[in-house]
Amino acid sequence: MKRVFEHPPEKLTGKRYWRSLDELSDTPEFRGWLEREFPSGAAQLNGDEWSRRGFLKLMGASMALAGFGLTSCRRPESHLVPFTKSVEWTIPGKALYYATAMPRRTGAIPLIAATVDGRPIKIEGNPLHPGSGGATDAFAQASLLDLYDPARSKRFVEKGEKEEKGKKDEKPKKVEYFEQRDRAAFEKYLTELRTKIAADGGAGLAFLVEEVHSPTRERLRAELLKVYPKMRWCVYDPLLTEAQSFATQLSFGDNARLIPRYERADVVLALDCDFLDCGEGDLAGIRAFTSRRRVGTAKDTMNRLYAVENRFTLTGAMADHRLRCPASQIPAFTRALAGKIAVATKDQGLASTIATLTEPVNAMPFDDAWLTECANDLMAKPGASLVVAGPHQPVVVQLMVYAINSALKNVGTTMIVREFVRAPKTNSILQLAGEINSGRIKQLFILGGDPVYNAPKGITIDKDLKAPVDWPELQKKVPDVVRLGYFEDATSELSKWHVPAAHYLESWGDALTNDGAYVAIQPMILPLFGGMSELELMNAVLGNPKTEGPQLVQDTFRASAPPGDFETAWTQLLRDGFATHVALKEKPPTFNSNNAGGVAHTLWSTAPNPTLDAPEIVLTRSYNVDDGRYINNGWLQELPDPITKLTWDNAALMSPEMAKHLGVNSGDLINVAVTETTKDAQGKNIRRELVIAALISPGHADNSISISLGYGRKKTGPVGEEAGFNGYLLRNSSNPHYIAVDSKTVESISVTTAPTAAQPASPTATAAPAESPKVRARTLGTYKLAVTQDHWSIEGRGLVREATIEKYREDPEFVKKIAGDEELPHKLPSIYSHPPLNSAQQWGMAVDLNVCTGCSACIIACQAENNIPIVGKLQVTHGRAMHWLRLDRYYASEKPFNQDRGEYPENPEMVHEPMMCQHCENAPCETVCPVNATVHSEDGLNVMAYNRCIGTRYCANNCPFKVRRFNYFDYNQRPIGKKKVGPLSVYQEYIAPFTEKGAPDTTKLQKNPNVTVRMRGVMEKCTYCVQRIEEAKIAAHVKAGPSDKTRIPRDSFTSACAQACPTEAIVFGDIKDPESKVSKTKMQDRNYRLLEYLNVNTRTSYLARIRNPNPKMPDAGRIAVASLGGEGPEGPGKAKHDFEQHDKGALSPKEKP
Amino acid sequence: MANFFPRWTNWLPLKIAICGAFIVAGLTGATWYYVTPKYTRVGYTPVQPVPFPHDIHVSQIGMDCRYCHSFVDVAAHSNLPNTQTCMACHQQVQKDNPKLEPVRASWKSGQPVEWVQLHRTPDYVFYNHAAHVNRGISCASCHGQVNRMSVVRHEKPHSMAWCLECHRHPERFLRPETQITNLDWKPEWEKPAEFVAKYGQPKDAKDDWSKKEKLTQEEIGQTLKERWNIQPTINCQGCHR
Repeated sequence: MKRVFEHPPEKLTGKRYWRSLDELSDTPEFRGWLEREFPSGAAQLNGDEWSRRGFLKLMGASMALAGFGLTSCRRPESHLVPFTKSVEWTIPGKALYYATAMPRRTGAIPLIAATVDGRPIKIEGNPLHPGSGGATDAFAQASLLDLYDPARSKRFVEKGEKEEKGKKDEKPKKVEYFEQRDRAAFEKYLTELRTKIAADGGAGLAFLVEEVHSPTRERLRAELLKVYPKMRWCVYDPLLTEAQSFATQLSFGDNARLIPRYERADVVLALDCDFLDCGEGDLAGIRAFTSRRRVGTAKDTMNRLYAVENRFTLTGAMADHRLRCPASQIPAFTRALAGKIAVATKDQGLASTIATLTEPVNAMPFDDAWLTECANDLMAKPGASLVVAGPHQPVVVQLMVYAINSALKNVGTTMIVREFVRAPKTNSILQLAGEINSGRIKQLFILGGDPVYNAPKGITIDKDLKAPVDWPELQKKVPDVVRLGYFEDATSELSKWHVPAAHYLESWGDALTNDGAYVAIQPMILPLFGGMSELELMNAVLGNPKTEGPQLVQDTFRASAPPGDFETAWTQLLRDGFATHVALKEKPPTFNSNNAGGVAHTLWSTAPNPTLDAPEIVLTRSYNVDDGRYINNGWLQELPDPITKLTWDNAALMSPEMAKHLGVNSGDLINVAVTETTKDAQGKNIRRELVIAALISPGHADNSISISLGYGRKKTGPVGEEAGFNGYLLRNSSNPHYIAVDSKTVESISVTTAPTAAQPASPTATAAPAESPKVRARTLGTYKLAVTQDHWSIEGRGLVREATIEKYREDPEFVKKIAGDEELPHKLPSIYSHPPLNSAQQWGMAVDLNVCTGCSACIIACQAENNIPIVGKLQVTHGRAMHWLRLDRYYASEKPFNQDRGEYPENPEMVHEPMMCQHCENAPCETVCPVNATVHSEDGLNVMAYNRCIGTRYCANNCPFKVRRFNYFDYNQRPIGKKKVGPLSVYQEYIAPFTEKGAPDTTKLQKNPNVTVRMRGVMEKCTYCVQRIEEAKIAAHVKAGPSDKTRIPRDSFTSACAQACPTEAIVFGDIKDPESKVSKTKMQDRNYRLLEYLNVNTRTSYLARIRNPNPKMPDAGRIAVASLGGEGPEGPGKAKHDFEQHDKGALSPKEKP
Repeated sequence: MANFFPRWTNWLPLKIAICGAFIVAGLTGATWYYVTPKYTRVGYTPVQPVPFPHDIHVSQIGMDCRYCHSFVDVAAHSNLPNTQTCMACHQQVQKDNPKLEPVRASWKSGQPVEWVQLHRTPDYVFYNHAAHVNRGISCASCHGQVNRMSVVRHEKPHSMAWCLECHRHPERFLRPETQITNLDWKPEWEKPAEFVAKYGQPKDAKDDWSKKEKLTQEEIGQTLKERWNIQPTINCQGCHR
C-alpha cells in the first residue's frame, strides 16, 4: 500500500549543479558522508516501517478523532482528599462553634467563633453572657480579618549592627541590618538576656504593655516580680486614661469601678461622653440604655438624653437635647451645673466638692435656660437620673460628676460601685520614659502597642539637652528592646528583636469583661505564622519551659477555686465561655466628698473660651481604627465613619462657621499649629504642626476642631499606610484629649490654610495673612476625601420619620400621615408580576430607628458573612463601595438649608437609617433584568442568581433605594490600592492584567463557604442572608425526616446584621407567623414602609423614631419636627410632597379605579 | 466589458449557502450534544488510586452506603471514607493485597489517599445531601446503581434541567425512608397493604390502594409526597446563594 515516490535517476552526463568539489568528483569518502547525512530514502524513518507521511496522516487522524470525541474537553481531573484519621467533632463542611473572647482596653467581649474545617470564618457575640448578649461591635466583627491579614508580621527579626568600611580615610560606618531569625534563635537570645536581667535583680528590666485585663497576665507578672523584684511594669494605651479611675478610687475607695445602670435612669446627661459608642466595648450598657427607648405603644415611657459635646457623636445623634460646647469648656459647664444642683438640693457633699472652685475666667457663656431646665429635669428624678462624663475629661470633672450623682441619689441606683481588682503598682509611660532617660532601663519588653507612633510627644525632659525628647530617641537608648508586635512597624524598627504576635484567635488566654466576669480566650487555629502570645513570651522570660495548650490559663483558673472537679469546671468554662463561680462584688455606694473636694481644689483649672482664631483641638478616638491598631484592616478602613461617612481617612472636623472663617471647604488642607510653653534645646517654644484635610461637619461646636487619632500610621501594611493624618503629632502628655490655649502648657494655637512662617513649605509660599480666604485656601492644596454620603436631605420623601413622644401620644398614627401616604390611592394596581407568595414562611425585616445608634456593627457583620469585597479609596470616591447594608445619615434642622448652594445647618439633629435591599414584593429591579438573573421566590425574597447575571446594571438603575452593588472590577481576585510602577504610582485595578491575579491565600481562608464569591461584572445586593434561611430550612427538613414537620422553629435564626446589632434594632424573621418577633415589631403603630406610594410593597419596614424632648427646654419646639413637613409642629403635613409635582400626569387619587 | 466571473460561479453562492447551512447545523448539533453534561459527564470513569469495587463491598458483603459515606445524612457534603475507615477492615481482610498498597502507605505516612473526584457541582451550586437522603431520595436517584459497579462511573448528567425534573415531579423518585440506601429497590417490591397501613394514601385517591396487586412509583411517590409534605424548591436561592 505504501507508495514511495522515487526521483528519476540522475543523468550521468551534461551540466549539473554541484555544491562542493568533493561532490563533483564523487569520491568514496564523500559518498560515505552523504550516506550518513542523507541516507537514501530519507523520506522514510530509519528502522521503522512507518513513512513520515504515514505518521503525519495517522497523527492528524488521531488528533481529529480526539478533537471530535472532545475527550480533551473533559473537565480537569481534581482530587478529593479525606482525612487520614478522623478529627474529633469535625464533619466536613459543617461549622463548629467555640466560645472565646476578644480582649479589649475596657474589658473583654465574650464571643462565639464559627469555624469551618478548622478556620474561623465568623464572629458572633456569646448569647449566654450579658457582656455581649449575642451581639458584637464592628471591631469584634472585623478582628477576624486581622487574623488573615497578609501584611501581618510573620517572622522573628533581629536587628544588628555591622561595620561597613567606607572610602579611604573614613572611619568604618556602623550600618544597621535586619535579619530574619527563627524561634530557637530568639529563645537562645532570651536565655542570654535572662542572665543579664538576673544579675541585678531585674533593676534594668521594664515591661511596656497594653491594657487587657487578663488574670493570667497578672499572675505571670506577679511571678516575674518574685524573680526580678526590681523590675518595672508599665501600662500604656494611648486612649486609656487614668483620670476616671483615679477619680473613682478617690471618691469610692480602692478597687472601685463604677458601672452605670442605664436601664434604671429616666434622665441621662452625657458630658463629652460617647457611651453609645460600641467601640468602647460596653455593649451591655448600650443595650440597657436603648431598652428604655423602645416605645411599643403610645402609653410607654422612655428615657431622656441630654448631650453636651463638641462634635457629633453617636450619643449626640441619639440625644433629645444636644448642646454644642467645646471640650475645654466642659469643666466650666459642669461647675455651673453642679452649682445649680448644689443650691437646689442643698447637698453637703456636692457643695463641699465645688466650694473652692473659682469662677472660670472667660468661660463660654452657657445658655442659662438650657442649663437650668436640664438641672431641674435631673433633680426631678432623684435616684433615676444619671450624669456621665467622658473618661478623657479631667479629674475635676469626674469628681464633680460623682458629687452630682451622689447629690441626686443616683449612686447605688443608676450608678453602682463594683469591686474590680486593679493591678498593683502600675507605672505610666511617663515614669518609664524618665527611667529610660536616666539610663536605668537596660532591657525593655514592649508587648503590643506602637509607642514610637503613638506615645505622647515631648514625653520627658532630656537631662543633657534640657529639652523635651520624644519616645523614639528614648527607645534607642535602651540596649535590649524586645518587641512583640502584630506588624513590623515603627517600633519594631527601633527594637533589637521583633517577635511576631499571635492573634487572640490563635492563642490561649483569659480576660475580665468590663463588669468583672472571668472569660476564657480559646484559640480557633494554630498560629498561622508561628506568632507568640504575650503570655507565652512572659513565660519564656520567666525561664519556664514552653507550655503546650492552655496550661498557663488553667493554672490561673485553678487558683480561682472552681467548685467541684477541676476538669468539669474547665470544660464548662470552655463551653460557656465564662466562669459562673467568679462572683461580682459590689462596694458600698458612699461618695467621699472630703477627698474629692481637696483634690478638686488642687487640680481645678479651666481654659478660656476658644475663639475662631485660636480654636481648641480635640483629639478623639476613631470609630474606624480605634487608636490606630486596626489601621490595616480593610473592612474597618472602608467602613464609613458613622457621623461623617468618611472612609479611608480621618480629617479635621469643624463647624460650617469655622470653615467659613478659615475660607476652606471640605477637602482643603489646613495647617494646625500648636505652640507649647515648653522650650526646646534652642530656647524656642516648641511648635507642633499637622497638615490635615478639613471636613465640614454640621453640628460641630464652633471654635473647636476634632481630629480622630489612629491614622497616618506608616509601616503597617498596604491598606493602612496611605490612610489619613497622624493626630498623635500634636499630642503631648499634658493634653491627651484636647488642646486649648490655657496659658499653662499651650501658648497659642493657629489654624491656617497657608504654611506658617516658622516652617514655610516652599520658599515662595511664605505667610500671607492679608490675602483673601480664597487665595489662602489654594496655598496648601486639597486632598481627596472619600465620603460615601455627601447629600444629607431626604428631599421630602419621608424616608426617615420621627416625632416627639407627645406628638406620638396625641396621634399614634402620625407615621402614616407625615409621608402623605393617606392622600394616595389606596391600592395602586401593579404592573409587575411575581410568583404567588404562598410558602409557609415569609421572610421580612423591621428596623427600629428609635434604638439604632448608628454604630455600624451590622455593616461589618454583613461584610464578613457575605464575602463582600473591599474596593479601595478610589472606587469609594466613584461611588462603588460594595456594602450591601449602608447606614444613611440625615441631618434635620429647623431652618431649611440648601446644600447645593453651600448652606449648612448649624445645630442639626441626626438620624441614622440602615438601608439594604427592601425586598419589594413588586420589585422594579426584577422586571428590567433581561436574563432573569434577579427574580422573586415564593417566600418573598428578591433573589439574585449570580451565575445568570450578565451585568447590564438595569436593575441597579431601576432600584428606588439604590441598594444594588456592581462588581466593576474583580475585587476578590485583584489587589486593591496603588502600586509603584517606576516613578508612577497607579491604581492597580486599572492595570489589572499586569498585576498578580488571585487573592492572598490567607484572605481566602476567611470566606464564608456558603456564599458565592462574586466575580467581576456581577450585580449583588442584600439577600436577607439567604444562606442562613436555606440552612435553617435544610436543618428543619433533616430533622423532620420521614414526617411533615418541616417548619423552621420560630426565631431560631436571624440575619447577620440582626445578630450583630447590639441594640436589637434590626429584627428578622417570618412575617406570616403573628407570634414571631418581627411580626410583633411590625404590628407596632410606628411601623412604616419606604416609598409606599410607589406600591413597591417592601418587606423591610421601619419603626419611626421618637424623641423625648423636655417641653420646658428652650429648644424643645424644634426637636424631631423635620419629618413632620418642615414647618414646625404647627404645620404637619402642610408641605406637599415632591412626588406629586413630579407625577402630575400620573394617576391622581380621584381617578383611581 | 468582459465577463469577470466565469459561468460556473453562478451556482457558487447557492453551493456556499448549502455547505454553510450544513456546517452550521453540524456545529450546532455537535455543540448541542457534546457540550451538555449528558455527554461530558455521563460515562466519566476515572482511574482511582485504589480500584475500589463498590459491587463487592455493597452487593456481596452487604455494607451500607453510610458505613463509609458516614456524614451523608447530616451534612451537605457526602464525605469520602478516611484511611482509618478502610483500615478498620483491611488490617485483617486482604491485608496483603497489592491493590491496597496506597491505603496502607497512607496509614503509615499519614498522607491521605487522593481520590479522583467524580461528581462535581460547580462552586455556585450549593447541593445538600442531608436534605435529600432524609426525605425519601435514594442515592441511586443521582448516582445510579453504584452497588452494581465494579468501577464507579458518572451515571446521571447532573445538569440543572435534570435537577429540576425531580424538583418539579418528586413523586417519580420518592421511596420509603428505609429503602434509601437500598439501591436495588423497585416499587413493585412494596406490599400495598403494608405500605398503605404505614403511609396511608393520597387524599384524592379514589380506590383503596391496599387492595392493589402492586404499587407504581408514581403512587408511592404521591403518597410520600403528601405524607411528608415534600415541596422541593424551584427557586434560584434553593441552590444558588
